[in-house]
Amino acid sequence: MSTRTDALAQQPVQDTTTGQGPARLPARASGGSAWTLVARREVMVKLTDRSFLVGTAVTLALIVGGLALQVVLSGHTSTSKIVASSPAAVTMVDKLAGQASTLDKSVKVELVRSPSDAAARAAVQDEDADAWLRQTSSGWELTTKESADTSLLTVVQQVVRADTIDRNADAAGTTLAALEQGSTVATTQLVGDAKESQLSQLMGFAFAFLFYIAALTFGITLASSVVEEKQSRIVEIIAGAIPLRQLLAGKIAGNTVLAVGQMAIYVGVAMVGLAFTDYSGLIAGVSGTVGWFLAFFLAGFVALSCLWAVAGALASRTEDLQSTQMPVTMLVMLMFFGGMFLDGTFRTIASFVPPVSALLMPIRMLDGGVAWWEPVLAMVLLVGFALLLVLAAERVYRRALMQTGGKLSLKEAWRLED
Amino acid sequence: MDTGDTMLETRGLTRRFGENTAVDGVGFPVPGGAMTGFVGGNGAGKTTTMRMVMGVLGIHAGEVRWDGRPITAADRRRFGYMPEERGLYPKQPIVDQLVYLAQLRGMDAAAARTSVVEHLERFGLGDRQRDPVEKLSLGNQQRVQIIAALVPTPVALVLDEPFSGLDPTAVDSMADLLREHTRRGTPVLFSSHQLDLVDRLCDRLVVMARGKVVAQGSADELRSGGPVRYRLVVGGDAGWTRDQRGVHVADVDGGTALIEVLEPGAEQHVLGEAAARGPVHEFRRVVPRLSEIYQEVTA
Repeated sequence: MSTRTDALAQQPVQDTTTGQGPARLPARASGGSAWTLVARREVMVKLTDRSFLVGTAVTLALIVGGLALQVVLSGHTSTSKIVASSPAAVTMVDKLAGQASTLDKSVKVELVRSPSDAAARAAVQDEDADAWLRQTSSGWELTTKESADTSLLTVVQQVVRADTIDRNADAAGTTLAALEQGSTVATTQLVGDAKESQLSQLMGFAFAFLFYIAALTFGITLASSVVEEKQSRIVEIIAGAIPLRQLLAGKIAGNTVLAVGQMAIYVGVAMVGLAFTDYSGLIAGVSGTVGWFLAFFLAGFVALSCLWAVAGALASRTEDLQSTQMPVTMLVMLMFFGGMFLDGTFRTIASFVPPVSALLMPIRMLDGGVAWWEPVLAMVLLVGFALLLVLAAERVYRRALMQTGGKLSLKEAWRLED
Repeated sequence: MDTGDTMLETRGLTRRFGENTAVDGVGFPVPGGAMTGFVGGNGAGKTTTMRMVMGVLGIHAGEVRWDGRPITAADRRRFGYMPEERGLYPKQPIVDQLVYLAQLRGMDAAAARTSVVEHLERFGLGDRQRDPVEKLSLGNQQRVQIIAALVPTPVALVLDEPFSGLDPTAVDSMADLLREHTRRGTPVLFSSHQLDLVDRLCDRLVVMARGKVVAQGSADELRSGGPVRYRLVVGGDAGWTRDQRGVHVADVDGGTALIEVLEPGAEQHVLGEAAARGPVHEFRRVVPRLSEIYQEVTA
């Protein structure tokens, strides 16, 4: 055989690695439902993935556990034994025992008598008692072994202070009431009440955190599944069967269904759980915002999905993914920290800027004082942004997918020949 | 010789990558019911041409025709395609992904499953349906890959190096399988580097070099394009053949002569002469091997 035929007999060295163009497929879809098949596969693969199921279960357990802890803590009272070694102290601790539960229902005080200061100190030292209350030349002193429990300290301070002022007032020929006349500072909150603010802060954090985690985990899942198809070259078979636009749409739809579904389960369980806590009366008030949160999450996730799909398509191998998805990871982190730490006017402006608005607007709504048109406008902007991204992503995805010669930059992919 | 109607055809297909024209005005028919072998060296443009036929690569000029009209995505969806770079989802059970790929090409899930299982059993992979692809040997992965092209029953097959990596037995069973499809009238286009294999299997041949088609036709047509040669082995010295009219003697070695026929029928006179001179041990037509033709056309 000649050298020519020998050369022929060799295995093909990838003669396709340079300059491969993207697929050009007719815009009309052959089989309009191809994307639903793709979406269904994305969902099924995930639902049969053990680590995904375990991860979801663990998160649910954490939510339920956190709420259960809240219930237990709020119903919990601790009894503090306070030693008194002088008659005056015994009287004072008696008053404490009587008034403690009206001041703070989690604090209960029990009097322990002690014959001497030394014995009292020893009782605290040996942990037979939690604290030793005694009168000094300048006032009162609460001795504890380590730092005093703050709720207990507050109760002690209030009772001692009121009792002493009462005595002093008597001595001065007036009354405590007369002395305190006009000195109270009442709190009035224009929007909601203290408990509601507390809840909205808590929920704001929970929103931001859930959004962050879901956008990151499902985004990375999407990018990996795109590069898996590219790396294994199964994409070429798929491209021969259906337009790549349908593949992209199916992948985004599948991952969005998974992400929003998981999020809805988390939020639903959390809302049911809240019903068992002190915040139960406030659920109705925030449930509208929760609906908005899910809607914003949906639109925001679709927008981010496009970016993740592009990050996947720019990579040639799984190893490239780390660097191609870096900008998207940064963006998601930016959204999270923006949602948490932006303040004032910046916060208001950012709550309209997609994709940050996907997170900030519902958080602002939790705080209250948001006009009805504000979430609507933010949503319109976000959906418009998502649509633009879908179109841009399709172009890059389509062109980059047939490229197997290593990592691509966004610019290279955009400029590839059709 | 044409074995059937031309169903798939390329006309003037051209694809450039930057300055380089990888495929330049390539036109050839792929008749129904025949195996068309696609040969050429590395970088000759075979894979690029096949990708354009399948629509996974943009076409810069020319067209792909199916059934006498420009091809559509819906037509291609019914084609079976085996790309040069093999790959399936590494971690998904093979039966699931084959059913998925068949569904993408418009097949109903239940029918797809039945057909996929039948094919797996035929390839001896019936008990490995639930295995992920990455656990199969390379040969078995190749089998799974071809099933992906055969379910649902394709109206045309475009196979890039379907025989590479197969042992001789597997090559035969793959060839039998492809013949089942050509018997149904399906056009089959396959590329290969193994010329002897192509010689043995294909009805038609398309030879590419440097982005262009340099020869095409049925194997017989290609062979008959060259001189008609006979090999004569006689008892004595065969040097006398040089003086015969109407033939050109390409080579003489003792009693063996290689004779090219210049005037049809002249070889019969040579045979008569040989018989008159002594015993004739051998007189037969020499059919050129495809590799020889290939060297000629790509030289």
